[in-house]
Amino acid sequence: MTVTEPKHEEANPLLEGLQLHRTPDPCVLVIFGASGDLTRRKLFPALYSLALRRLLPDKFAVVGVARSPETDDEFRERMKEAVQEFGRDKVKDDVWNWLAEGMRYVSTDFADEDGENRVAKVLNELDRERGTGGNRVYYLAVPPDAISTLLHEIGERRTTEGWTRVIIEKPFGHDLASAQELNEEVKRHFSEQEIFRIDHYLGKETVQNLLALRFANGIFEPIWNRQFVDHVQITVAESIGIEGRAAFYERAGAIRDVFQNHLLQLLALTAMEPPIDFSADSVRNEKVKVLRALHTPGPKHVVRGQYGRGYVEGDEVPGYREEEGVAPDSLTETYVAAKLYVDNWRWADTPFYVRAGKRLARRETTIAIQFKRAPHPPFAIVDEEGLRPNVLVCHIQPDEGVSLEFLAKVPGQGVMLRAVHMDFLYGPTFRTGIPEAYERLLLDCFLGDATLFTRADEVEEQWSLVDAMVAFWKRDRPSFPNYAAGTWGPAASDELMNRDGRKWRRH
Amino acid sequence: MATALGTISEIDRELALRRVDPATGEPMQRTSVMTHIAWVPTQWVEAAEDVLTGLADRHPSRTIVLVPDPDAEEGIDANAEVMQFPLGNGRQVCVETIRVRLNGSRAEVPASVVQPLLLPDLPVFLRWRGVPPFGERPFEELIDVVDRLIVDSTEWPDLPAPYTQLAEVFDRVVVSDIAWARTSRWRPQLASLWPGIKDVKTIEVTGTEAQANLLAGWLRSRLRHDVALEHIQADRLAGVKVDGEPAPFPPGERPDPADLLSDELDRFSRDRVYEEAVRSA
Repeated sequence: MTVTEPKHEEANPLLEGLQLHRTPDPCVLVIFGASGDLTRRKLFPALYSLALRRLLPDKFAVVGVARSPETDDEFRERMKEAVQEFGRDKVKDDVWNWLAEGMRYVSTDFADEDGENRVAKVLNELDRERGTGGNRVYYLAVPPDAISTLLHEIGERRTTEGWTRVIIEKPFGHDLASAQELNEEVKRHFSEQEIFRIDHYLGKETVQNLLALRFANGIFEPIWNRQFVDHVQITVAESIGIEGRAAFYERAGAIRDVFQNHLLQLLALTAMEPPIDFSADSVRNEKVKVLRALHTPGPKHVVRGQYGRGYVEGDEVPGYREEEGVAPDSLTETYVAAKLYVDNWRWADTPFYVRAGKRLARRETTIAIQFKRAPHPPFAIVDEEGLRPNVLVCHIQPDEGVSLEFLAKVPGQGVMLRAVHMDFLYGPTFRTGIPEAYERLLLDCFLGDATLFTRADEVEEQWSLVDAMVAFWKRDRPSFPNYAAGTWGPAASDELMNRDGRKWRRH
Repeated sequence: MATALGTISEIDRELALRRVDPATGEPMQRTSVMTHIAWVPTQWVEAAEDVLTGLADRHPSRTIVLVPDPDAEEGIDANAEVMQFPLGNGRQVCVETIRVRLNGSRAEVPASVVQPLLLPDLPVFLRWRGVPPFGERPFEELIDVVDRLIVDSTEWPDLPAPYTQLAEVFDRVVVSDIAWARTSRWRPQLASLWPGIKDVKTIEVTGTEAQANLLAGWLRSRLRHDVALEHIQADRLAGVKVDGEPAPFPPGERPDPADLLSDELDRFSRDRVYEEAVRSA
């Protein structure tokens, strides 16, 4: 018997050592909700920055779809103005013209048969003109109630030519049941690998830096556990109000707007075990394990609040119930704090205090790991402040970076201790311009990398916890408003910590 | 105005003073990712200053500019500067530049001046303007205290002869060549011609002598056969022909000198492909 050697193509020796970017396949990005704020403020500035850095495929096009009537040229002009206003890069005509050449606009209602036909026609034309090969990324930047219909439409019309990916903006569902229903709709038409549920917090450099801090450094991981950590504090504070989003916010509240997604994602990244690699499933498997291990907090361990009139940065601002579109007797929470436990070997009995709110004293997102105090300091301590515990703070925004608080001797006679900070500041250290979260996430989706997107089971675990917390709320009627705008939230939130002999970090 | 400083302790004291914000009296935060030493013979001072200006913003570091002046009266003559970057909230972050004139015999022993000024535990890069005096004491001393040597062989006359001496230091210090970095947009273009380029006999390079030699050396070392070089002088890499056929022009804009140096400062490991290209140039 003759054995034929398999024929191998000779490897290209000229590629060795070249630093080549992975370039996405040719594709068309279809944005449903193209007249909305997200498209203007985030998506187009991100697309332009990617185009400027030549990270988009050479054969690329964008189709905007929305109800508002607009021509292709009007759409191009409006998006150029958006890039000029919100982009991080100065607009260069040659780059913009390249992007604009592939831009089209279709005005239609999302469920309209004729409109969908027109979208399909434009896509086919672009495939011919731009060589995009039937590859599609659909971005659903639409109200939550339109998502199911669109998924169905896109699924029914998907072609066999090229690949299809769908990006779905948060919130993914309103509760566990609706999220499961949406996931079922997704499964009918798409595989999990084709779905990219976006939580833009995961695209932030500093959130990814948390993984680098934990898993690229040998010194932190050995003490990142119940033996050394006293507790963890996660704060997602906003100083702004609801910014005209009353219709959405009245239904969502802080727990659905921020807690269910951003805050639980930060907690999962803080508490997760090291993944075996940085692939989508390895990272997401570890996050899901944390979410599954979260113990549902009892009503005593959850605080909700709503802001009343107050002062933010010196300006008087109205209370939540006075905001346009908000019911005068609204019981929607604009603040939520909770004491959570991750019931696993690493974190047993270590509380995670989390809080998120609007109209707080300042905009700040931080993760603070507070370590246990030194067991027996050989110094005469003059007051309680004299022996503060070490705190490692990851600043997600603003002032991105990491700081470590430790005690140092005050120069002079005797031993006086003072807490000092050692700061690593992201921007000044690298000074290369931090890419916007949407740049990273759009590019990852074009490349088919779902590591920084939320998987179906993650979303369901998040909703499962939120549903259990909200179920307790149905039994009582809170006395709202219970905190003044421009403060750090209701007094009950401080009590949540004080009961355990702890305090929220000073800001 | 910068104060003339004659000793290392005077330099240290001056830096400590300058790290305090004169407006508030508060110490500014220092941020450094490396110590960057630049060996700048007098004729290169102006060009070096231009590049350093663009660099400070990208790679916050302690920069030590060494200007040798063997004919001057003995001693060192230094000044220290702290450059501030606002961070918002009234906070400032600062980077440091120390300029040292090595006068008389001090120009022969730069390592003893540099070592006390290095930031602990951070990588040390040495940018050498012009052709390094291979085998001479200042150069030999400095490459033993740094992690990476950065040269720009575009600045060198009589190429490719000096490449032979450069190759001799590869086992002692990691070397980066900005002339090589300037070919980085063209190499993927040539690689994209595979397999057609496999048996190339001649390349014609319109560019600097360094770029032409390095591209030819790269092809010879990668393809493991001789490739003849025809060089057309130009001050930038403007075109490459492979056996008479023009290679596709690379997309994007040509990076400026500060960008090229900055990119080299991001790299820490040995570039074996470059080393082989130099040996075959």
